[in-house]
Amino acid sequence: MATRARTGSPWRFWPRLLLIIPLALVAWVPFYNRIEPTLLGVPFFYWYQLAAIIAGAVVVMGVYYLDRRQTVAAERRARAGGSTDEGDTDEGAGSGARP
Amino acid sequence: MSFDVTATIVFVGLFLFVTWVGFVAAHWRKADLDQLHEWGLGGRRFGTIVTWFLLGGDLYTAYTFIAVPALVYGVGAMGFFAVPYTILIYPILFLVFPRLWVIARREGFVTAADYIRFRFNSRALRLRVALTGLIATMPYIALQLVGMEVVIGALGFSTEGFTGHIPLIIAFLILAAFTYTSGLRAPALIAIVKDMLIFITIFAAIVIIPAKLGGYGAIFEAVPKAKLTLSPPAGNSLGNYSAYITLALGSALALFLYPHSMTGILSASSGHVIRRNAAALSAYSFVLGLIALLGYMAIAAGVGENPLHAGGFERYGANFAVPALFLDMFPSWFVGVAFAAVAIGALVPAAIMSIACANLFTRNLYKEYWRPDCSDAEEARVAKIVSLIVKVGAVVFILAIPQSYAIQLQLLGGIWIIQLLPPILLGLFTRGFHAHALLLGWAAGTAVGTYMAATRGFVSSIYPLEVLGLTVPGYAALYSVLVNFLVAMALSPVLDRVWPRREPLDQRSNRR
Repeated sequence: MATRARTGSPWRFWPRLLLIIPLALVAWVPFYNRIEPTLLGVPFFYWYQLAAIIAGAVVVMGVYYLDRRQTVAAERRARAGGSTDEGDTDEGAGSGARP
Repeated sequence: MSFDVTATIVFVGLFLFVTWVGFVAAHWRKADLDQLHEWGLGGRRFGTIVTWFLLGGDLYTAYTFIAVPALVYGVGAMGFFAVPYTILIYPILFLVFPRLWVIARREGFVTAADYIRFRFNSRALRLRVALTGLIATMPYIALQLVGMEVVIGALGFSTEGFTGHIPLIIAFLILAAFTYTSGLRAPALIAIVKDMLIFITIFAAIVIIPAKLGGYGAIFEAVPKAKLTLSPPAGNSLGNYSAYITLALGSALALFLYPHSMTGILSASSGHVIRRNAAALSAYSFVLGLIALLGYMAIAAGVGENPLHAGGFERYGANFAVPALFLDMFPSWFVGVAFAAVAIGALVPAAIMSIACANLFTRNLYKEYWRPDCSDAEEARVAKIVSLIVKVGAVVFILAIPQSYAIQLQLLGGIWIIQLLPPILLGLFTRGFHAHALLLGWAAGTAVGTYMAATRGFVSSIYPLEVLGLTVPGYAALYSVLVNFLVAMALSPVLDRVWPRREPLDQRSNRR
């Protein structure tokens, strides 16, 4: 597992933990199941969830940029190893440790 | 319903335009369409923008555009679960599917079942994955026809009897023809036209309709208070709260396991394309949220009390709410545009779904069990023919069988497809699971989920689970996949002792 040792700990992918935020925003239904405060006549239930879509998109975009350095680096390593794969190749079980 | 000439001319004109686009697509990024990955995955060359349109057209189907606002029109806040659902799908897309893409690209996989065989070296597990995908997708294709039939009916065509079905049959023949010649390139290119039409329609709707009805405040005032929020749970039950969020979470987990989502994902040109789209596709979610609100606009506009629409509601139920709203609010020519958007919105996913079924059948059944050494050209030809058969099957299905069966089967399809989550997800992230344990987990999950739906008479997928005296109504798909997970987890270490694992094919290839 020489590849594993070179790529470091899984913590380098820490930004992906932020992806729990979209779930956290909508998980607790009683929090947003209300009419007040309304926004331009739209009850809270509706504008909150529409706003959560935008917040979710911002989180995913943020993670994409924070994560990009790692995935690009992984891609480069994979190339150097003689393979044309990108991204997540050398980590975990999906592809195993390729020589 | 009276026959609307202007709207029909615009509708037919746009339909002919996308037909032309569908055939021209064969020459787009020209390649050898006698290769399955060229016909069925567009050569895996779609960049960020094309993938955005393709996945958008694939996941947000015509049935969604009709059924989600119809649900909001009918039951109110509960119908809005589609919004948290679309929020939750993107983190999942981001985390899981670039990994699958990498492996699929490297090994030349076209379906999820290809991957399962490679990862677990289990033909039995792969067969279950392929069959589940096929069975879950068929009623979904049929439901696209429901969306199309509602707008054809709303144009003033009678959809009764055999002659009434002729417009629908013509539309599907056209669809079958261009899918046959152009493969995945056709829906990819048509999706661009479809989305333009959808965006134009929705932005017009959220500006013009509230202006006519006296603003958003007035619209929400007109909706009965009981519909505006979920009724709080009473007694020893989590009531609507647990139902709402489990529906959202379960649907989100199931979405990308459908073969047509997989086809859309695997046709991307890189993992980055998929990750970028995990953020960018939220634009469609927002539009879907706005579309859901059309249900309330229909209530405020009083479409249900309009005698002009009585026939439509009688025939199509709440699904007629949005077409009726457009008929009341828009000039005829724009009604044509809006209805064309819905009808074309049915063509795109129907094309992708039939291609996905064709890929599954050809790769994982035909080539595996009948013709192991068939040539690439034969493989592609069989796939094209299967895509035709699938569509004919969908038309027959919707004409011969009551529509409510299609809806019930689609509901069961969601429960069945989510059972593929443990093999695919666990396969990507760990090696700790035994193929036969996953197989038994799949069987247990499918049985439990089907039983839960059966106790509700197959009309609802919300199962009132009793935990320590507390009733937790929730989406049967989510409960049954938990059973699936637990069985697989409990049996893996046991089976490892009594039944040696076969060496996974991916390990073997590493030694080369």
